[in-house]
Amino acid sequence: MKYILMMNTMRAEQGVPNWPRADLQAHIAFMKKLGQDLRESGELVLAEGLSFPDRARLVRAGKDGAPVTDGVFPESKEFLAGFWIVDVETAERAYAIAARASAAPGPGGAPLNMPIEVRPVMSAPPQEMM
Amino acid sequence: MKYILMMSGTKAGVDGYHAWAARDIEAHMAVLRSITKELTESGEFVATQPLAGPVEARVVRGERNGLPVTDGIFPESKEFLLGYWMVDVATPERAYAIAGRISAAPGPGGIPTNMPIEVRRLASPTGGRQ
Repeated sequence: MKYILMMNTMRAEQGVPNWPRADLQAHIAFMKKLGQDLRESGELVLAEGLSFPDRARLVRAGKDGAPVTDGVFPESKEFLAGFWIVDVETAERAYAIAARASAAPGPGGAPLNMPIEVRPVMSAPPQEMM
Repeated sequence: MKYILMMSGTKAGVDGYHAWAARDIEAHMAVLRSITKELTESGEFVATQPLAGPVEARVVRGERNGLPVTDGIFPESKEFLLGYWMVDVATPERAYAIAGRISAAPGPGGIPTNMPIEVRRLASPTGGRQ
C-alpha cells in the first residue's frame, strides 16, 4: 500500500535557514540517509521538498476564466514543507518511517519531533483523475 | 520549473463532496481528467495523486520506547490535502493558469467550485531533496 508522509509547518516555524550551519548540515545528512535507506529497501516512490511559504499563492478561477491569485494566508495556516510517498506492507511500517523522519535532528542535534501526517494515497490507479 | 498544485479541504468539505449527486461528481471528474490529458499532451504533466479521506489520516511524532507515537485527532478547521498535480512549466503564471482551470471545475449543478488551489514551486528544479 502506498502512503504519503507529509511534513507540515507553520510559517513562523520555518526558521530552518537561520540554524547554525553544522546543525543544518546534520539535518540534511539525516534526511539524505533516510531517503537512501528507503530507496535501498525499495519503499521510496517519490520525495519532494517545497519552496518556502513566502512563494505560495492561492489560485481561484475568475469569472472570465483568468486565474485570481492571492498570497495572503492566516497565521495559523499549515504549509506543506515536503513529503515522501512510500510503498509499504502495513500502516505500521509507514508510521515507523514517519517517526524516523520526525526524529530528524534540529538545532544542537536535539530531535525535532515534528508531526508527520500519514495518509494512504488512493490504492487503485488514480483512474478518476487520469 | 516544477510546481505543485494542491487541492485542500476540511473534513466537513469532504463530507459535502461525497453528498454530491453522482452526475455532478462525474462532470467534475471529467473536467479534471481532460485537464490531465491536455497537460500530458503539452508535456507539462509530471504527476497527480488523490489521497484517501481525512478519516484515515494519522499524525506521527518521534518514537517512545522504540514505537512511533500516532494520533488521529485533528481540529475541525484543519485543511487536509485532498490531492495534487505536479506540473513542469515555463513560468509561474502558467502554473496559476492551470490552477485556475482546476478551480473552475464544476460542482453541484454545474456551477464552478472556485476551490482555492495552493501553488508552490518545488525546492529544486530536478525535484526531490533526497
